[in-house]
Order: sequence, then structure tokens, then C-alpha cells
Amino acid sequence: MAAWVGALAIAATAAAAEPELLPPEQAFPFSARALDDRVLEARFTVADGYYLYRDKFKFALDPQPRDYAPPPLPPGKVKDDEFFGKVETYRGEVVVKIPLPVSMAGQSIVMTADSQGCADLGVCYPVNRQQVTLVVPAAGKGPGPVVEAHPKKKRWFQ
Amino acid sequence: MTNSVTRWVAIGGVAVLALGAGLYFGLGVRTPESNPAAAAALGGLALPDAEGRQQRLDQWRGKVIVVNFWATWCAPCREEMPEFMKAQTEFGPKGLQFVGIAVDQADKVRQFAAEIGLNYPTLIGGFGAMELSKSLGNTLMALPFTVILDRKGAIAHTQLGVLKPDKLHGIVRQLL
Repeated sequence: MAAWVGALAIAATAAAAEPELLPPEQAFPFSARALDDRVLEARFTVADGYYLYRDKFKFALDPQPRDYAPPPLPPGKVKDDEFFGKVETYRGEVVVKIPLPVSMAGQSIVMTADSQGCADLGVCYPVNRQQVTLVVPAAGKGPGPVVEAHPKKKRWFQ
Repeated sequence: MTNSVTRWVAIGGVAVLALGAGLYFGLGVRTPESNPAAAAALGGLALPDAEGRQQRLDQWRGKVIVVNFWATWCAPCREEMPEFMKAQTEFGPKGLQFVGIAVDQADKVRQFAAEIGLNYPTLIGGFGAMELSKSLGNTLMALPFTVILDRKGAIAHTQLGVLKPDKLHGIVRQLL
């Protein structure tokens, strides 16, 4: 019994030694879908206790349509940063609509999303690149299915 | 329930717990302190500083070295650096040397170092530096990450996240 309690105590101490952090793909899971043949939708579901920097977002499409412009980003929460001045951050759900200048109906598009964020526990992650492949529906036939960059694995005990 | 069944249930419980603890300590918690290969790789590291001069980490061999992986885009990193500067002033004459490894662009590092009057060298590392920190126990490759080397170059402590002054001073005093 004493050994049992001892083992628990050691395990608890070891666990408390370093903050428990999620890997970036779980802290900032990314998914996307094609709303119709002219608009794609990217979504980050930021875990509680984590945030993303607005100015670090980057979206690339392959193939890249002609006259593609970076999408407008929703406003974030303004934070005063001693070094960078005003910075905007996102928590919770971040949804970005990516307009396509021309219809890409029927095409398969690889969307690459770069994001960078931190945990309130006091650590930051480097730029995290996530990718999904979307098949653009025909005009008037959207939205297409949600595609997750890192689908959750099925667990045995759930 | 008979006594013998109770006993077997209890033994089973202990066995499961022991297995769990074994998995936990065997796989979950690495002890980079006992990783001489990673320590040697860190000791032999050569990276350019913010002015582009190549610097080898072993030039400070014989001192207690605090290697701090950081970046200007990492707010918690910037927040702990003034404390590192104070510790460098206080313990430097006794043989303590802070060395930053910035996972960042040299111009941003120069600008930030000038702004806060950084009193210890910082080298510029790329993805390779992050990989090195991973081998030292920073499995998530997050920042800040700090490694303290004793006078012989062995790893005495690693820390993911902010290293609080009390903890830092305690470790450093023991090693100096």
C-alpha cells in the first residue's frame, strides 16, 4: 500500500514538473470545405487556453487560380505588445472565407494553411503548416464535406 | 466476495498501476539529463551570431552555461529575458554564461537585443536548432526552452516554458 501511494506521489510530481501542452495540430486543429464553386472556407478550432496570431496566417492554394488574392481575415482581439505594438489574436473558432476569382468547379485543390500561436501556460509554437485536399463542387451544388487536416483517431474506450 | 477474490482484485490493481507507471516513466517522461549524445551535440554546436560571426558553444566550456531557445515572436520568451540579464550580471563573475539561440531572423534579433540592452550573446538558429532542442527533450518544439549545462558540459536541467528566477537561481547556485 505504501509503495502504491509512493508511486502515485512520484507520478503526480513528474506530471507537475512541466506544463501539459497539446501538440500544435491538437491545439490549433484546421479543417476546410468548399462552400460552392467560388468560395472555400478555412476553419481553426483553437483549444481553450491557446491563441493564434492574426498576422501570421497564410493560405496557399494549389493549383493557384489566376488573380488569387490573400483572403480578408476577421478582426481579432487587440493586444498591446511591448515589442510589436498592437497585435491581434484569435481564440475559439476562426473562420476565413477564401473567395476564388474564377469558378473551380470539379477541381481538386490542396489548401495549405500556416498559423502560429501560443499557449497561456507561457509557451509559443513555431509556424504550423497544415494541409487539406478539397474537391470543389459544381456551381449551386455546395457545400462540400468538411475535411480535417488531422482527423481524430478512433479510441478504443470511447 | 471472498477474501481470496478481494486479494486477487487488489493484486490485479497493483499490477495495472505498476504497468501504468512503467509505461509512464519508460515512454512518457524522458530524462534528457541522461542523454550524453544530445549534450555533446549541443556542446559542439556552431551557429552565427546576430552579426553573422560564427560562434561555437564550446568556447564557454568550463562555465555553467544556460542555453535559452527563444524568438522575438514569442512573448513569454521576451518576458523572461530581463531576468536572465540580471542573473548574467549577478552570477557572470562567478562563471555563469547565458547564450541565447534565436529561432528567428537576424535583423529582428539585433533590433530586439539593442532595445533591451541584451548583455549576453545570442546565436541565430533555424529549424536545425529546433530539431536539436527536440533531441534535448523539447518534443513539441515549443519556446522558450532552456538547457542548463554544468561546468563539464553535462545537462543539469531542461525547462520548457518560462524559467522562474527562484528556480534558475537555485539551480545555478548549486552548479557554480
